[in-house]
Amino acid sequence: MKISYKWLKEYIDIDISIEELAQKITDSGVEVEEIIPLVAEFDNIVLGKVESRSKHPDADKLSICNVSTGDETFQVICGAPNVEAGQLIPFAKTGAKLPNGMKIKKAKIRGVESFGMICSKEELGFEENSDGIWPLETAHSVGTDINIVLADYKDYIFDLFITSNRPDCLSHIGIAREVAAFTGKEVKFPEVKISESANHNINDFIKINIEYPQGCPRYAARLIQNIKVAPSPDWLKQKLETIGLRSINNVVDITNFVLNEMGQPLHAFDNDKLSGKQIIVKNSIAGEKFTTLDDKVRILPENCVMICDGKEPVAIGGIMGGLNSEVSDTTTTILLESAYFTPKNIVTSTRKLSLMTDASQRFEKGTDYDNVLFALDRATELIKQLAGGEIVQGVIDIYPKKIEQTVVPFNPSHVNRILGSDLDNNTILETLKTIDLIDTPKGITVPSYRVDIKEEIDLIEEVARLINLDNLPTSVTEPVYLDQPNKGTDDYISDIRENLIQTGLQEIFTNSMISEKATSITPGIDTVKILNPISDDLSTMRPSLLQGALSTIKHNQNRQNPNLKIFEIGRIFINNGSDTIPLQPGKIGIALTGNRMPDFWQGDATLFDFYDIKGIVEELMQKLQIDKVEIEPGKNISYLDNDQSAIISVNGAELGSLGKINDTVKSNYGILNDVYFAEIDLDILLNYISYDKKYKTIGKYPYIEKDLALILDNSTNASEVFNFIKSQGGKHLVNINIFDVFVGDKIGKENKSLAFRLKFQSDERTLKDKEVDQVFKRIIDKSKKQFNASLREN
Amino acid sequence: MHRIHEIKSNFDSDIRNVSTIEQLEELRVKYIGRKGLITTAFTFLKDVEASQKPKFGAELNKAKKEIEAAFGKKKSSLGSTKGSVVKMDVTLPGRKNYLGRKHPLIQVADEIKNIFKSFGFSIEDGPEIETDYYNFEALNIPKSHPARAMQDTLYITEDIVLRTHTSPVQIRVMEERKPPIRIIAPGRVYRRDTPDATHSPFFHQVEGLVVGETVTFADLKGVIQAFAHRMFGKDAKVRFRPSFFPFTEPSAEYDVWFNGKWMEISGCGMVHPNVFKSVGIDPQKYSGYAFGMGIDRVAMLKYNVKDIRLFFENDLRFLSQF
Repeated sequence: MKISYKWLKEYIDIDISIEELAQKITDSGVEVEEIIPLVAEFDNIVLGKVESRSKHPDADKLSICNVSTGDETFQVICGAPNVEAGQLIPFAKTGAKLPNGMKIKKAKIRGVESFGMICSKEELGFEENSDGIWPLETAHSVGTDINIVLADYKDYIFDLFITSNRPDCLSHIGIAREVAAFTGKEVKFPEVKISESANHNINDFIKINIEYPQGCPRYAARLIQNIKVAPSPDWLKQKLETIGLRSINNVVDITNFVLNEMGQPLHAFDNDKLSGKQIIVKNSIAGEKFTTLDDKVRILPENCVMICDGKEPVAIGGIMGGLNSEVSDTTTTILLESAYFTPKNIVTSTRKLSLMTDASQRFEKGTDYDNVLFALDRATELIKQLAGGEIVQGVIDIYPKKIEQTVVPFNPSHVNRILGSDLDNNTILETLKTIDLIDTPKGITVPSYRVDIKEEIDLIEEVARLINLDNLPTSVTEPVYLDQPNKGTDDYISDIRENLIQTGLQEIFTNSMISEKATSITPGIDTVKILNPISDDLSTMRPSLLQGALSTIKHNQNRQNPNLKIFEIGRIFINNGSDTIPLQPGKIGIALTGNRMPDFWQGDATLFDFYDIKGIVEELMQKLQIDKVEIEPGKNISYLDNDQSAIISVNGAELGSLGKINDTVKSNYGILNDVYFAEIDLDILLNYISYDKKYKTIGKYPYIEKDLALILDNSTNASEVFNFIKSQGGKHLVNINIFDVFVGDKIGKENKSLAFRLKFQSDERTLKDKEVDQVFKRIIDKSKKQFNASLREN
Repeated sequence: MHRIHEIKSNFDSDIRNVSTIEQLEELRVKYIGRKGLITTAFTFLKDVEASQKPKFGAELNKAKKEIEAAFGKKKSSLGSTKGSVVKMDVTLPGRKNYLGRKHPLIQVADEIKNIFKSFGFSIEDGPEIETDYYNFEALNIPKSHPARAMQDTLYITEDIVLRTHTSPVQIRVMEERKPPIRIIAPGRVYRRDTPDATHSPFFHQVEGLVVGETVTFADLKGVIQAFAHRMFGKDAKVRFRPSFFPFTEPSAEYDVWFNGKWMEISGCGMVHPNVFKSVGIDPQKYSGYAFGMGIDRVAMLKYNVKDIRLFFENDLRFLSQF
């Protein structure tokens, strides 16, 4: 909402600076987002006095003037016909820059030197076209900075953010009322004297009837004859233009003027286009068609307020007029409407119509039903003044059921209970009185324009804002709460994040909205689609963290960084039927691509491989003390390479998967290096984290190590052999480590060798070689048999 | 024992003469292969006197470890320097790993969380896709409210939305728990905004809620002020100005004087009686305050980031600055 400072001053005396005014408005709860000076600050322009004027010897239309700035006098050539000796004028000295960009320099005009320029209104940016220079009437002394001299001419636009509960602030008078509350001044309302013509009575011309009072409780109108639609006078044009409105013609401009003056939307009909000499306010029937004045055919939902003449609808009440009754250049008789529409009705209708107008935005929040006639008279009188014509006697005001004034029961002591203040009842009631909230035996009466005040808490808020929030007490002694948990889910997620960071992973945050196309790499998940997406690229909720990881890799690769070690913790979304909210499990996504280590001067870089991503997952599980993790081959994970993909599970519950992104997906994204990716379900993981850590005695007896290298069939999985050895090792086998994997012709093409280092230790005593040898031999024999393996001899 | 030392010193001279991977492999077989000298030395252990056994075993293990280490070292030097040896130069850069870092928004969220945890708040979480009831209705934003305009909210169905704020968590917590309540809830929220330097269709908020029998606006001011001092420094000035949110009343915005400007940080207010009614808490007995702040916004101020999109592009040149 834009408010002109000059315009505002017509309704209230302001004796504080622009900045202080902005502060007061902000303190009242209306945020001043920006103050825009309509004319820029002038530099090097002062109040000058034309001391003398003589004709230029070589040019008929030019004068040579001597301009005094108090302590100096300058010779200036001036081309304006209206320059006279004795005038006080805005004088731009050499070096000044005018708002239009022109720079004032010393010049020689037809042989005579000129030091500066006498300015016109146009040159200073105060009007579009000037005929001559701008003679000023001012008490300021010669030489005064022109910014000070012209302070009253300059205007400032206050760009205000008005919260949706305060539609009463959507006008200049509304803001004046707020300023009055905070400065103690009085609001000056415009004086309206209607001069009706005695010849006719409005009832002879038109009948008005409300058939749909639920949508339109009050409808008033006046009739003006013999007007002339024409361009508006400059003052009106300028007023509207300063607040960003386009001037159309005198009638439309006046309705816009009154709207921005006092917040009441008005509508003018060309009375000659209305048939049947009547207006009937009805509700629409679903599917009805209507052409609004922007020449668009609207298909109406049910229960829009329709303003109809004797034949057909002529406007959607409170929203937009119809093309069929629009005021045009040839209009001579106007029916001017001022009404009150029910906010809920307007909200519903505008939303269903997808049509918002200046009028609807006010009606939907609530206008002042008591101001309907005053606004109507104000506009009617202005039309007579600016467009001529006669105001037909009488006003029609259909108001079948008067809206009762709001009275709010109020217990002043509740103010302190909510605000933590120590205000006495009298102060509270006096404070409310400053904005016409009056204490009566029934409660506090509320002015008709304060549609937001309905219950006690609203009054408490008024007290708080009038006293000023910064003046209310501040308490820093809050009670200590003893029932808070020591460590919660969020802390465990933080632990997980910390662990991932320690392995050198960079955290990323990616968009949870992706394109539908992007979901094709993770098929089999019923995705969640957005009904009204911003664009096709943001139409679907992510079914995996993979898409975000790949986009990130692509983005960095395109910026010459192909090496990434990244992770993300976030939700994915799975459709759960249209009646319930989707499943939204938390996931951890980890991706590796490019060089395993940052560049180093020694040695060639090696690339990430499968065992890097697996190692990260294993380390994470180890850190979280989750013992029962199994990582087993997993085929058919759509985006992974079949030979390099694995399923992660804990105690039989599937935790996620890891592996190498297959070439199809990689080339879809245009990624060059191999990518290794793991996705782990956070919620399941949290179930298995060991929350209860207990110390176990560290073995104090020496251990014995035994190495075992088995030659096995290539297809045998290491984990099978590992688990088998473990199962055969007895209670003293405390650790098994695979320390070498060998393939080569020496051991046969179809074979591989796995070397295990077995560690035997007892908590109670030093183990004897003999007993370990026995166990070890048993392990060897059983393993050979189990896997049809042989021992590698060297 | 003597034998172990002999093997070790032979090995030391042998390995010095190695210049190819093949020679190294021969040496491996000779010393620590299955019938290698060290491996077989373990079999002598049984012949050693009982009192000497532990010492012998330890020596043998030590020798084995040293030999293995020497192999590893030789192997990597053969692989990388191809025979020639680099003279030690301590001014060459050290060997580094990738540095793991939290996302800058997590860093800021953690800072905020830690401050409120120290004030006795616990951390809560809630779904990002919510029903209309939790996102609007229960928060005193009925269907006819102007704030419900279609263009602000992303819908899944007519009744299911991408939450537009973290406030639904207030409702979920109050439904589950009895006062006193003292929580914050960080999380992702969504709006139907076209992305530009200051708008992202998704961003992050922290919601705060305190409910008790004697909670007042003064307490709210106190906690916000204490937070601002911890977050922005002891000299941070704070101002409150009236505002409007359907779910709090009185409502306020608070600004912090930071980097020579008033910065809008957060909206806050006293829990609206209608919100209490919707979760079955008696507004005559209990009162409460709530606040919400933008994590992204605080991060932009704190790190002087002018374009919110940078947080979600995940360019490593950006992320590695935090």
